[in-house]
Amino acid sequence: MTDKRVWKWVLGAWLLLVIWAAFFYAPAAKGFKGESARIVFFHVPQAWVAVLAFCVNLIASIRFMRGHDPLDDARAATAARLGLVFSVLATVTGSLFARVMWGSFWNWDPREVSIAILLLIYAAYFALREAIPDEERRASLSAAYAVLAFVTMPFLVFVVPRIYWSLHPDTIINARGALDMESRMFQVLMGSLVGFTGLFFWLYTLDVRLARVKLARQRREEV
Amino acid sequence: MRRSHLASEALAVLAKELRSELRSRVALNAVGLFALTTLIAVAYQIGPYRIHEDDRPHLLAALLWIILFFAALSGLARVFVKEEDAHTAKTLRLAARPLAVFGGKLLFNLLLLLALEACVVPLYLALMGYAVTGVGSLVAVMLAGSVALATTSTLVAAIISRASGSGTLFAVLTVPLALPLLVVLIQGTRAAAGSAAFSEVLPALRAIVSLAGVQLVASLYLFPVVWHD
Repeated sequence: MTDKRVWKWVLGAWLLLVIWAAFFYAPAAKGFKGESARIVFFHVPQAWVAVLAFCVNLIASIRFMRGHDPLDDARAATAARLGLVFSVLATVTGSLFARVMWGSFWNWDPREVSIAILLLIYAAYFALREAIPDEERRASLSAAYAVLAFVTMPFLVFVVPRIYWSLHPDTIINARGALDMESRMFQVLMGSLVGFTGLFFWLYTLDVRLARVKLARQRREEV
Repeated sequence: MRRSHLASEALAVLAKELRSELRSRVALNAVGLFALTTLIAVAYQIGPYRIHEDDRPHLLAALLWIILFFAALSGLARVFVKEEDAHTAKTLRLAARPLAVFGGKLLFNLLLLLALEACVVPLYLALMGYAVTGVGSLVAVMLAGSVALATTSTLVAAIISRASGSGTLFAVLTVPLALPLLVVLIQGTRAAAGSAAFSEVLPALRAIVSLAGVQLVASLYLFPVVWHD
């Protein structure tokens, strides 16, 4: 129990270190206005965590369809909720960067459109959950929708941004397969990715533990 | 033997759908009237002359798909919603295997979409003065797009038929899932209108076919879960 509490403080300290390093250790990126590119240390990990959360949602949904364990449904819902939160954060940080670089918060860039559609898809997932009062039915129908939603995601994340011309800077590993980033910037970005991934799993575990307690109480009441 | 049995079951479900639709004509009336009303509104307000020459390729392709897509949304959910409303879903579960039910309903939705396109597209081309150079390419884009749209909407229809407030929920769930497809369909239609060369529509066609394939495979795997929840 004590060990687990320590990890929480380690994660907090790590994220504080990442924030400090993002502003004082990493140099300013060339080819960008002022200090705007520093947002990459937060924007990219948020987008990564959103994709990771939707992957966890997919795995939990498939597990539910196989085993019909209500805890898997709770896992899927938690992951989708966190994925939605991190997608909103990635959209907001991306919009702030767009305002500085291109003069407008929203430019209908393919990546902006992709993330907007992704937000709509997972918002619809919660609309579906709200519309089904029966818990067992809600779990299996939303699991099916989650799988169908996930198979659309590669088209949004990988295909559409590559078909259309985009304002968005190259991804960290660009189309030529080369890593195009200064060494200290890369270190901070990797540190941030680790920190945000840890933050996701901490929040996810908290919510799943809460769901487990609720389910156990519900079972006790039924007996 | 088993495979042909499944195909004949699916065709029997399709025949049942066609018979019941021809009797009531609810989906046909909804889709047809929605398309016609929107088409008249668009043609009256915009027509062939009110769009600047430079904007015509993109705007006309986008408007065509907006009319087709939203008209289709008004009728595609009915295949499953009507079974729940009439309390016939349980009988259908006993009468046919899940894949046969999905196949029959999917084929019905596909036929409905193709009928909609066969009526609306020529009218749209005439009323809006939309000259299409690559007719074959446009037909290929429309066919592939219809398969993709019918697949997604049939599975979503099965999902929402088991939820409350299914009418509004169908649009809420289908529109975000179909948006990537819609974007590529508009791109493909614009390419087909601008050039007779098939190579011009090939990138969009590849994206549509792969999206349709992925969604079809996922739907075949997911439908039994939805149908027997």
